[in-house]
Amino acid sequence: MNQIAAIAVNTFKETIRDRVLAVIVVFALIMIVGGLWLGSISLGEQGRMMKDFGLVAVTFFGLIVAVFVAAGLVHKEVEKRTVFVLFSKPVSRAAFITGKFIGLCGTMAAVLAGMGVFLFLLVWAVAGDASGMTLVAVLMIYVQLLAVMAVTIFFSTLGSAILASVLGICVYVAGQLSHNVLSLTRLGKNAVTEALSWVVYVIIPNFSAVDVKAGVVGEDTLAWGQVALWTGYLLAYVVVVLALAALVFRRKEF
Amino acid sequence: MTEPSALQIGGLRKTVHVGFRRRAVEILKGVDLRVAENDVFGLLGPNGAGKTTTVKVALGLMRPSAGTVELGVDGLSHVGYLPENPYFYDYLSGREFLGFCARLFGLDAGTRGDRVESLLRDVGLEAAAGTHLRKYSKGMLQRIGIAQALVNDPELVLLDEPMTGLDPIGRVEVKRIIESLHERGKTVLFNSHILSDVHELCTRIAIMREGRVIWTGSVDEALAEAPTLEDFFMQVVTA
Repeated sequence: MNQIAAIAVNTFKETIRDRVLAVIVVFALIMIVGGLWLGSISLGEQGRMMKDFGLVAVTFFGLIVAVFVAAGLVHKEVEKRTVFVLFSKPVSRAAFITGKFIGLCGTMAAVLAGMGVFLFLLVWAVAGDASGMTLVAVLMIYVQLLAVMAVTIFFSTLGSAILASVLGICVYVAGQLSHNVLSLTRLGKNAVTEALSWVVYVIIPNFSAVDVKAGVVGEDTLAWGQVALWTGYLLAYVVVVLALAALVFRRKEF
Repeated sequence: MTEPSALQIGGLRKTVHVGFRRRAVEILKGVDLRVAENDVFGLLGPNGAGKTTTVKVALGLMRPSAGTVELGVDGLSHVGYLPENPYFYDYLSGREFLGFCARLFGLDAGTRGDRVESLLRDVGLEAAAGTHLRKYSKGMLQRIGIAQALVNDPELVLLDEPMTGLDPIGRVEVKRIIESLHERGKTVLFNSHILSDVHELCTRIAIMREGRVIWTGSVDEALAEAPTLEDFFMQVVTA
């Protein structure tokens, strides 16, 4: 436990101090401020437009941080040979993967909290809308990104950092669309394609089920029971994917 | 009576598969090696002889294809290791890095703090303790690498090219550290190409070539056969 905590704290310090991360966050904040302009040209819908655009910016930049930082986490340690220092000490591969993931969770929480609070304050100051639902939407973005990070870490134990990043993004996009694909294949009434869609639906989590952006801006009604259920599924999914990553990483030689 | 072993390696073989066609390359071809407790043991050999691979297999960083490795100490908790050309975390300071390593061994906060400060003093990095490692020179990284290898007060210390990148003052300091480890009853195994250091520090040596140990004995035994260790080394590896 102590080792996992040590690796997590170390990962958090390393990633949060990385200048590239700071640049990404600054870009994200600029994008969120850019929502002011969109808000100003949408009559009577300023707050809604700002929230909508801001949450898309938070998702986009959060996703960039999730895939690129997660892909480099394990790979960088191997490439720069810091793993020699770690694994010559009584540190298990599973503790390493778990610690790395928890540390990155901390970094992602800090990044999203910063962006979320900034968006909340901006909407409140400009449009007078102080609904805490904006922050709930950011929390649900965090839940989705946890799964993306776990998947990207898993892919990074198999191949290069670039491949892991690309596959991480692919899984996110596929996860946003998987529910629609399943619905479409049901319409086709072909048992094989429907079964295949089900397999994909289980392997790639349904991110759209916990995406509450539309509900927060009033475009959709929110089914909180479903959101809670899918959140549980995503968290279980994270545990399984990390266990697989640890299994793969256990076979690695340095 | 033979002294207890700190490290015993028998018939160690390691084959790796390289390239697109997964061509098998045998790096270690049956290494036999015994390091007695409290030895300062020099593992010598030309580049590609298999010295680093032997150490990596001993530490579990690589799996052996055949053969045995027995650590005479109770697991990796009692082993310290400095890799060749070490590279550490860019955005941690020297103090934070050593604290991190100490935490991996489960040292409590009090012991950790004392140990880190004393090691920073020993390797002459007190003034740079708060500086991020990305700003360290090669010699400073080598020193912090030696410090992390000693953070758990190990019984067995494996140092891969510990003098690389060090200026003369740094080399003297590292020699002093190795001597002090020997005085305190620790076992040190180090790989080096600098034979004058080996002559000065080692009690016993082994010479490797092409994945095998081709000679092992004391420094005195080597010097009985040639005027200098360099001459003896050349004699053995070119035979």
